[in-house]
Amino acid sequence: MAEPGPDAAGRFRPGDRIRTRTIDPAHHTRLPRYARGRLGVVERVQRPFPLPDDRARGIAPPRVERVYTVAFDARELWGDAGEGAHTVTIDLWESYLEPERGDR
Amino acid sequence: MARISDLGGTEGLGPVPGAGDERQQRQDAPPFHADWEARVYALSRVLGGKRLFNTDEFRDAIERMPPSEYLHASYYERWLAAMETLLTEKHVLPGRRHG
Amino acid sequence: MSDEHASLPIAARVRRLEERLIEAGVLTDAELDHALDRFLASASPTNGARLVARAWVNPGFRGLLLGDAPAALTHLGLTERMHAATGEILRVVENTPGRHNVIVCTLCSCYPVGLLGPSPSWYKSPAYRARVVREPRAVLAEFGLDLPPDVEITVWDASAEARYMVLPQRPAGTGALDEAQLARLVTRGGLVGTAAA
Repeated sequence: MAEPGPDAAGRFRPGDRIRTRTIDPAHHTRLPRYARGRLGVVERVQRPFPLPDDRARGIAPPRVERVYTVAFDARELWGDAGEGAHTVTIDLWESYLEPERGDR
Repeated sequence: MARISDLGGTEGLGPVPGAGDERQQRQDAPPFHADWEARVYALSRVLGGKRLFNTDEFRDAIERMPPSEYLHASYYERWLAAMETLLTEKHVLPGRRHG
Repeated sequence: MSDEHASLPIAARVRRLEERLIEAGVLTDAELDHALDRFLASASPTNGARLVARAWVNPGFRGLLLGDAPAALTHLGLTERMHAATGEILRVVENTPGRHNVIVCTLCSCYPVGLLGPSPSWYKSPAYRARVVREPRAVLAEFGLDLPPDVEITVWDASAEARYMVLPQRPAGTGALDEAQLARLVTRGGLVGTAAA
């Protein structure tokens, strides 16, 4: 497996508020549409993994980035008319995330 | 570009089929519904093991299925379509691109 | 692959693909049989059930399972059940009286196959993948699991390499059962979160 990139410690820590990027790529990606441009909180930091966006396109070597388990409130994802107050966690590569204003 | 496979939150898909089927919850529920499903599974393992394609390319090939085909295909039918696509695109087998 | 193959019955289409690959020298029937046998012999929900039953009777193991699932797998000789080659890594999440967990892969159907066996059809269905992140309480009710309103629900979307398994609550009235008997109580639904245990 490829070595992690220069920011090996990872950009985010548990508790950090992040916003997922509003991407709409033509290629394969693992940021689901329902969670793009949404506010979440980092729940866990995983080790680095190759980016599926690159591997699917045969880009070698692929970028290798930390993966984060990010928790989203149901209302953030589905609005107030939804079922109510559950939490959805999604595992996301670092380049899918941006710090929310006010965080580092 | 929205892909039909990115289903989270999509509405109108109805009740979960088989949710009330207790047999599917049991530890001894059969792993495959038909021999051909098991063969498709075995093909994916062997071809992946030989590094003819990686997991992400495989998922990408499934996601590139035309939406109506994707929704009408069963799970292992999608796997089969993906392998046919990749093996053709990578010139492992001759043939026109499927779909 | 020419379009005429697409209209064949599915089993014939599979066999045709196999034959073409064998003719091309890419693989053999023996390799296919071996891959299938190896898988069927090792991938089963009894593996996940063993982890749960051990956690129910042994608080130290429960802590290990929740804090370092790969180490817990090693303890029970189950490390090989996860696909190390792809980096697949297990995380176990526990149900409590106040919290219920349910697992999904909205993008495809990722699932800890080695520990739970091949995934059930409902897990792979568009309806489950689409709806459980949006209305988990309603979806769980379709499975016969009606959770009180004060129970919080967390839905884990397995979108990367982590594979999730639920540690259900130990059912009431099972105090006299041994570990093997407890393991037989655990269903696939319990390990995914669509059943209580």
